[in-house]
Amino acid sequence: MVFSVAYHFLHDRDLAEEVAQDVFLSLHRNLAAVESPAHAGNWLRKVAVQRSIDAARRRTRRPQVSLEEVAEPATRPATGDPMLGELLRKLIATLPEGPRMAMVLRYQEDLDPSEIAEAMAIPLGTVKSHIQRSLALLREKLARRGVGER
Amino acid sequence: MDWLEEELKSALNRKEPSPGFEARVAGAARHQKVVTMPRRWVAAAAAVIVLAGAGEAYRWHRGQETKEQLMLAMRITGGKLNRVQMQVSGTRQ
Repeated sequence: MVFSVAYHFLHDRDLAEEVAQDVFLSLHRNLAAVESPAHAGNWLRKVAVQRSIDAARRRTRRPQVSLEEVAEPATRPATGDPMLGELLRKLIATLPEGPRMAMVLRYQEDLDPSEIAEAMAIPLGTVKSHIQRSLALLREKLARRGVGER
Repeated sequence: MDWLEEELKSALNRKEPSPGFEARVAGAARHQKVVTMPRRWVAAAAAVIVLAGAGEAYRWHRGQETKEQLMLAMRITGGKLNRVQMQVSGTRQ
């Protein structure tokens, strides 16, 4: 979960591994404060979110994602199509950090908006707005590329 | 959940770190332990020494106060005894 959140947020395997290692070492230093496995899970998620955002801010430029480099699917593919999956990952990587993290937590971790608000330490309304706007933006970008509803 | 959300769930499936990641983290954690544990012990020992020193200083301070109070009491008592002795001597004469 820790590596995966960092990876989908940063779109950079090496940096995601650095972040994940940092998060696990931080847990190791704070083991005495962990009360239960559930507490450890929440703690790891929160710290992974914070450290991923910090790493993205430290990085001088946005992830090197150029939408022009992504091959366009000619027709609407079946669910789980690798090309559409890659296109979606790259589109998500172009989102600003708040909406991007909200989308990763929503669709990778399957968290509901209130859990996302807690993990990101932001208001629930902001989370809902991030998700709705991001979905609308993705639909628009996909439609422009000829990928629409079934 | 509509088609886009289903696609997003599929696209953002969990990824695993590269092989050897766990070993690298475990190695770093062992190194971290070597670095941090003595500092913790040093901090704990320093705290014990400071507390013990503070306790000793407090006891010394209280001892000094008690000694001064005792000396004062003895001076007062001595003065009173002198006066009583002088009165007794005057009465006899």
